[in-house]
Formats: sequence, C-alpha cells, structure tokens
Amino acid sequence: MRPRRRQLKSPAAEASQFRRRALLGFVLVVLALGGLGGWYYKLQVLDHAAYALQSEANRLKLRPVLPGRGLILDRKGRVLADNVPAYRLDVTPIDAGPPADWLPELRRIVALDEEDIADFQEAHRTGARFRPITLKPRVEPEEVARFAVDRWRFPGVELVPYLNRRYPHGPLLAHIIGYVGRVDEEDLKALGEADSAFTHVGKAGIERYYDDILRGRIGYEQVETNVEGRSLGTVGRVPAVPGTDIKLSIDLDLQRAMVAAFGDFDGSAVAVDPRTGEILAMVSLPSYDPNLFVNGISHTAYRALTSNPSRPLFNRNVLGGGPPGSTVKPFVGLAGLDSGLRTPQDKVLSTGEFHIPGQRRGYRDSHAHGHGWTDLRKSIAESVNTYYYQLALDMGIEAFAKWMHRYGFGERTGIDLVGENTGIVPSAEWKRAHRREPWYTGETVIAGIGQGFWKATALQLVRATSALADEGALRRLHLARERRDGYEAPWRAFPQPAPERISDNPAHIQAVREGMEMTMQPGGTAWYAAGRDLPYPMAGKTGTAQKVSRRGAVSVDPHQLPLALRHQAWFIGYAPADAPTIAVAVAVEHGGFGSSTAAPIARAVMDAWILGKRPQAPAVEDDTVSFDNVAGQVR
Amino acid sequence: MNAILRWLFELAARLLRTLDWQLCLALAALMAIGLAVLYSAGGESTTLVLAQGARYALGFAALWALSRVPTHRLRNATPAAYVLTLVPLLLVLAIGTGRHGKHWIDLGVFYFQPAELLKLTLPMMAAWYLNSEPLPPRFRVVLVALGIIFVPTALILLQPDFGTAMLVVASGAFVLFLAGLSWWWFAAALGGLAAAAPAAWFWLLKPYQKDRILTFLDPESDPLGAGWNIIQSKIAIGAGGLTGKGWGEGSQSHLDYLPEHTTDFIFAVLSEEFGWMGVAVVLSLYLFVVGRCLWIAAEARDGYSRLLAGSLGLALFVYVIVNGGMISGLLPVVGVPMPLLSYGGTSAVSLLAGMGVVMAVRAHKPMHGH
Repeated sequence: MRPRRRQLKSPAAEASQFRRRALLGFVLVVLALGGLGGWYYKLQVLDHAAYALQSEANRLKLRPVLPGRGLILDRKGRVLADNVPAYRLDVTPIDAGPPADWLPELRRIVALDEEDIADFQEAHRTGARFRPITLKPRVEPEEVARFAVDRWRFPGVELVPYLNRRYPHGPLLAHIIGYVGRVDEEDLKALGEADSAFTHVGKAGIERYYDDILRGRIGYEQVETNVEGRSLGTVGRVPAVPGTDIKLSIDLDLQRAMVAAFGDFDGSAVAVDPRTGEILAMVSLPSYDPNLFVNGISHTAYRALTSNPSRPLFNRNVLGGGPPGSTVKPFVGLAGLDSGLRTPQDKVLSTGEFHIPGQRRGYRDSHAHGHGWTDLRKSIAESVNTYYYQLALDMGIEAFAKWMHRYGFGERTGIDLVGENTGIVPSAEWKRAHRREPWYTGETVIAGIGQGFWKATALQLVRATSALADEGALRRLHLARERRDGYEAPWRAFPQPAPERISDNPAHIQAVREGMEMTMQPGGTAWYAAGRDLPYPMAGKTGTAQKVSRRGAVSVDPHQLPLALRHQAWFIGYAPADAPTIAVAVAVEHGGFGSSTAAPIARAVMDAWILGKRPQAPAVEDDTVSFDNVAGQVR
Repeated sequence: MNAILRWLFELAARLLRTLDWQLCLALAALMAIGLAVLYSAGGESTTLVLAQGARYALGFAALWALSRVPTHRLRNATPAAYVLTLVPLLLVLAIGTGRHGKHWIDLGVFYFQPAELLKLTLPMMAAWYLNSEPLPPRFRVVLVALGIIFVPTALILLQPDFGTAMLVVASGAFVLFLAGLSWWWFAAALGGLAAAAPAAWFWLLKPYQKDRILTFLDPESDPLGAGWNIIQSKIAIGAGGLTGKGWGEGSQSHLDYLPEHTTDFIFAVLSEEFGWMGVAVVLSLYLFVVGRCLWIAAEARDGYSRLLAGSLGLALFVYVIVNGGMISGLLPVVGVPMPLLSYGGTSAVSLLAGMGVVMAVRAHKPMHGH
C-alpha cells in the first residue's frame, strides 16, 4: 500500500493547489473583514447620531427635585400645615428578588401590617420590575435605626427620605385645610407629563383649592448615573421653586373656641369679619384627622369614618345645608321693605294661627295665642311667623326668590373650597324642574319662615348676615388671606372682588338691624340663652328647622341619627352691634331650639373674638398630632 | 567593548533569528492597543494591565520557543502531542470548574483551559494526517480527518463550551479546506448543518444557548434581560462615531452599561473610545496577520508546514469575525474573545504559541520536501 501512495503524492501539484486555496481563503478573509468594517461603519458613522443619543440618555438622567410644599398659616402666622422629614421603605423588585426570600426577614425588623403587604403584593404583580414600590409609607425612627444596621441583607430595599405633610392641629382644621394624598391615576392625568414627579397633591380643602400654587414647581438635576442608577455627580441643575405659603384668615384661637363651644353637639358654624368677608373660624363637626390621609388611609380607619352616621368627612358648610328656618326672617323683612310692600312701621296682627284666605289649613305662630300687633322690629325679635306668612303671600314666590338670591341664597358664597353647594331658594320654577309638581300657595307661606323647599348653608347665612352688619355689602367669603411666593418675598393679599349691595336704602337695613339687636334683649328670642350680661351690643336671630316632628319623649341619641333626619337649631348674629367686627352663623344638629343651643355657641365665639375669652374646658388640648389617633373621635 | 557589543548583537540576532519581524510588529501593535483599551475598560487601573502584560510575556516566550522548533521535529511529535492534549480534556470533565460548565482546571497559580491546547494540536494533527496522504484527500481520508476533528470537539461540547468547540472545528476545517477538500464536502456540510439545526435546538442546546440565539434574532424582545448586552454594546459602538469619544472617555463602559467590557466586549470599548478609525486600524492589523500567515504558508516547502501555518492564520480570522460580529449584533452571542485584545490568559497564550509555529514554518524551511 504505502509505496503506491507515495507515488500518487505530487508535491508540485499540492503546492499549487494550496496556493489557490490560500488565495481564495485570503480573498474570503478580506471580504469578511471588509464586511465587518462596513457594518461598523454603518453603526458608527451612518447611524452615529441615534446611538450617541442613546448613550447620552444612558449617561445622563433627569432627576426631578421636588419642591417643598407651601406652608399654610393662620392669620397670626401660626403653622397649620407644614412639612417634616420622614422615611419610607421602597422596594425595587428587580433587585430585591421574590418577596418570599426577604419579606419574612424584613418583618422582623420593620413592623408591616397585612394591608401594607397586600398593597405591595398587588403592585409587585402588576408594576414594572425596575420601578420602586413603596412598601411602608412611614417608617418610625426606631425602625429606621434597626433597618440601617441590617440594610446589607436586603438588596433592593431602600429607606427613602422625603418631606411628609403634617397637620399639627389634626381634626381642628380638617374641613378647612383638607389634606394631601398620594397621586393616583386621575391626578397623574391632571398633572400632566411635566409634573408627573409629584408624589402628593391636595385632595381636599385649601390643599386642593390652592394646590397649583402650594405645590411649587419641580426642579431638575441632570445626574450622571451608572447602570445601577447610582448617581455619580450632578451635571446641571434647574432648582425647584418652593410652593407658595398661604396665610389664612382663620384665627387658631377662635377656631378652638368655636369647637369648644359646640361641646358634644354635631353641626357647623362659621365666623366672618363682615368688613372683609374673611372667614375667621369655620367648623364642621364631627371632624377627622387629615394626617391619616397623607400616605393613604388604612381600610379600617376609612371604614370607621364612612360608617359613622354623623359623617365626619362631610363638610357641612360647603356640601351640606338645610332649611334655615326663622334665620331668614331678617332678610325676608328687608325684602318687604325694599320691595315697597311694607314700611318698618307697618303692623300685622298675630293671632296664633294664620290662614290663607279661602283655605282651612292653619299656619301657627310660636305663641299659641299670638304676638298681637307686630311691626318689623318685633317680628324679628320675637320671631313672629304671621308677619312673614303674610309678607311672603303678598310678595309672591317669584319676587320672594328674586330677593333671596340678591342676599346670596341659592348662590355660591365664593369660598375658596371645591364643590360648594348653592343651596335652594324655593320657587315655582325650582319645584317644576326638580319635583315636576305645581306650586301651592301654602308653600309660599312657609317659605316666608325658611321652611319647605329651602336649603341654605351656614356659609350663605353668615354671608348675608355680614352684609347686614356691613351696611349692605355682600362680600365674597374667603379663607386665604395672603400669599408669599418664597421665603424672602413679601406677603401679598389675595385680590377680592368688589362687594355687591343687598339694599339701596340704609334706613331699611337699619330697621332690620334694630330688630336683630332686640332679639338679644329682654323679650327677644335669644335674650335668655345668649343676651344676658352682654358686655357689648349684639344682634342676632334664632331659627329652628324641623325635619321630622318629634313626638312624645322618645329620646334619640343625636349622634346616631342620620343627618337627613336631624333637625337643626340655627343662630345668626353679629357684634358689636354698632360697629360689627364679627358675624357668625351656627347650625346645631338636633340642638333643640335655636335659642337654647346655637345662640350660646355664637355668643361664646363672639366673646372669644371681642373679649379674647379662651375656652375653659381643655377641649382641644391635644391638638398635636399622634399617628395612632383614631379618625373622627377628636372634637 | 566593541567586541562585546558585537558579540551581544550577534547573540541577539541568533536568538531572534527565527522570529518574523513583520508578524511580530503587527502582534505587538495589537497587544499595545489591547493594553491601552484594557487600561481604560478596567477603570484606569494598572492591575489588569500588569496581569495581562504578564500573560503576553508568557505567550511571547511560548512564541519564541516554538519558533525555534524545526518543523520536522514538530511534525514527528504531532500524534503524541494530539493524544496528550486529549488527556486534560477528559480530565476537565471530571474535575473542571466554570460558570456555565466545566471549562477550567484549577492549577493553583492560574486556571488552565485544556480546550485551548487543541487549537494548536488539532490543526497539527489534521495537517500531519492529511500530509501523509495524497491530496486532494480521498473520501476515506476525509472521513478519518473528520474523526480527528470530531473527538476533541465532542469532548469540548460536553463541557459544554460552544465557542471554543466552534473555533477548534474551524481550525480543523481550514486544514481540510487548504488541503483541497472537494467543494461537494462543503455543500454537504452546509446541508447537514441545516438539517441538524432543528435537532440541535431540541436536544443539544442548553437553555442559555437558545436564549442567546433568540436574543440575536430579536434583541428588543427583552431589552432589560438577555437583549441588554447587545443593545448596550451596539450603543457603545455606534456612539463612538468616526473618531471616538477619546481614550478613557467611553461612558458606556465606565458607567457599567456595557457588560463584560474587559473580556468579550472589549472591542466595543475600543469602538466607543477610538471610533471607526480605531476599528479600521485594528481590523487592518488582523488582516495583515492573517495575510502574512497565509503568505508564509504558501512559501513553505512541505505540505505539513503549509497546512498548519495556513490554518492557524485563518483560525485567527474566525475569532475576529465571530467576536466582532457578536458584539455588534451581526451574529449570536458566543463566548469568543477578540484575539490579543480581550482580557484573559489562555487564549492569548495559545494564539501567540500558534504564531510561534507559523514563524517556525518561515524559519525552518527544509531543503527538500517529502
């Protein structure tokens, strides 16, 4: 075999064959390397711009810098809402791995309730893996310390410092200030792309109404980041603009006095400076702790708030309202004068029962035997129904409604809170539209004493009362008094619209005012409850709006009755009567007659404002915030 | 004094006589570029550079030593060397370590990758065998040659190390190609590959290998997972532009966006920092090395030397095309380093040793062939 093979091997032929193949190989190598070089040319030269952009996007990240939210202060500069440093616990799923691996360990260090974990699991299932999820919105200082020691055991779990909104007075101002809450889908849509970095927005109250100026403007840092997102240095910076500070017209002491004056009652009250329309104090009771909402309220706390029949979350001043009862009489009386139907001296005979000519049904006075001959002043001081039955009947419901709208009933007061209720002024038109029923004359009669289809809020009543107190100037009610855009900037007043006039005749207003002053004097409906020993002249009017008649001596716990069934004791008034500095409207739910419960509350508020009297009871001593405070308990 | 200098000069000349200065210059240029890029990619630390420099020194020593071995001695020792290098290949399957399999043997001082040796001994064996037969090879001879290639390849695939197996197969296949293998074989190989691909997909490939192929086909399908490497690598390359961001200025590697930027993806660092110009220079150097090897092979007087030198040169080209294609998204991800640029010892040493053999071919031309 072997020799034969030797013969077949031809060195020259093999060498030339090799050269052909080597040349072919070299050509292929040139082509392949040339192709590779061409591909790199495409990437590096032709497509350079796109890749350079991506490389820059990798390198530089725009990191939003959240501005500090504006402070909310009372009229004397006391803090009602501020920001305090706090920590939350964030988890980045891609770094942390499956929760089963670290969650049990973590729970030994940081207290986590089932709700936090359920929320986290939900977000973990649905969210992006590289975006941090908040596991616990507020970590207590001891937990921060414990976690800091063990943090190396929990990759992807991070303590994130942030500024937490705090309401140091808790429930005291909940219905005024409202609260901020975590941004939800809807908020994100409203905020838009540029402001999507905000974590919290105002959800209620002043926080919501003025959210656009309170939240400030987001700043940006251009940060060089490595692949783990660790910042390696700041390249550029657009500073955040802190939110505008807002000074309210609310007086913290007066607010406390007002809450204290309510004692155990539910209801609402507003105190206004009639000269400006500034709201000095405003309560809706019961209240709630707005701090609970800042980082998401727990389901149990929320259920406790919503299942309470007294509805702590319901702002009675803005959203509520009911028949104003006899508190409308001064205004109906003024309408009688201004419409020319009555002079202040015109008298009507009160017999205890009023009949519409040709009808059998009787409309009663509060005195079974009547008040006798009654002029305007007496009709107010003694709350004589017959005077107003007759006046409303003479006026007719259309003119009546027109006059009531002029005094601000059925209209928004313009208060700087979202969702204000206009209330209802009874009219044939309203009834047709909403009840699809014709108007009956009897309904005109009872409209005259603030009953029937009436719906008025304490805000509307106090505004109209202020107009009487300030020579007919009907002003926009407002809470925000001044703003400061930055710590160095001067305080600037919020501009207010010019007032409207409720009457062109000062003598008419004067007559009504005299009637209201007589209310507080012997013989007047509020003398015994609030008018005795007055160190300053006061004017007022009581009212009672009965929603269901109380039969017998069935005692009902007023806090357990649904709002719609509660009757209201009203009082409106102002003081000092000769030069008013405060006007008040009080609505007490299930508060008996207006004279007995609402009037003393108004008197206590006025005493606090005019005499500087502080409440004696330690009613709102604990208005510093504690987080285990259960909602809706603190009054 | 003069005499001493002359004596020293002559000694150096005698010692370095066997080196091919053209190849040496090109290789030195590549190594210098490699160290420069490594310095930048390694976070401007000299630790990696010194370690790699030591490997280059070791590799160069091997190159020098092998260049001094006359080719007929090498040829005579070939069958023994081939069989001997199969032993650690078997051993590694028993005691090996590695990330995705058993690739390395821990020798205490360094990790030794037995498969690297085959990059040298397999083409030697193939060349030895084919040279002992009349060429172009007959059917039976081709079958035996394929057997010679198949045994170590199968062992390497068992580790499993697809990248090295491919390089080893390639170096053997180049010997067959240069030996004048009939085109029918290449057609049959292509056909067989196409037929075997589905089978390989279902039985042979590991999940991570399948991921790599899927990712290659569509890197955007999982931009944060498997596709990340290629996307970031392409960004690095593309962002380099014509002239590059400058030495040490490559943000993709310095900010860790680029994975494995001192090893498999170092060419992307070079592309980012030195741009297409740098790429063109390096590719030209590789082309020169391959061309020079083929030239030396063509000049050789015996079949064994020809086949060996030619296949070693072409094998280097495979590294370049596979690595350069992989990091730029042109080919699927395969663990193949960029020759003389990627950080890592064994491949640099085995490559330089191969170049030493090529230089030996140039230096030891027998007066007469077989």
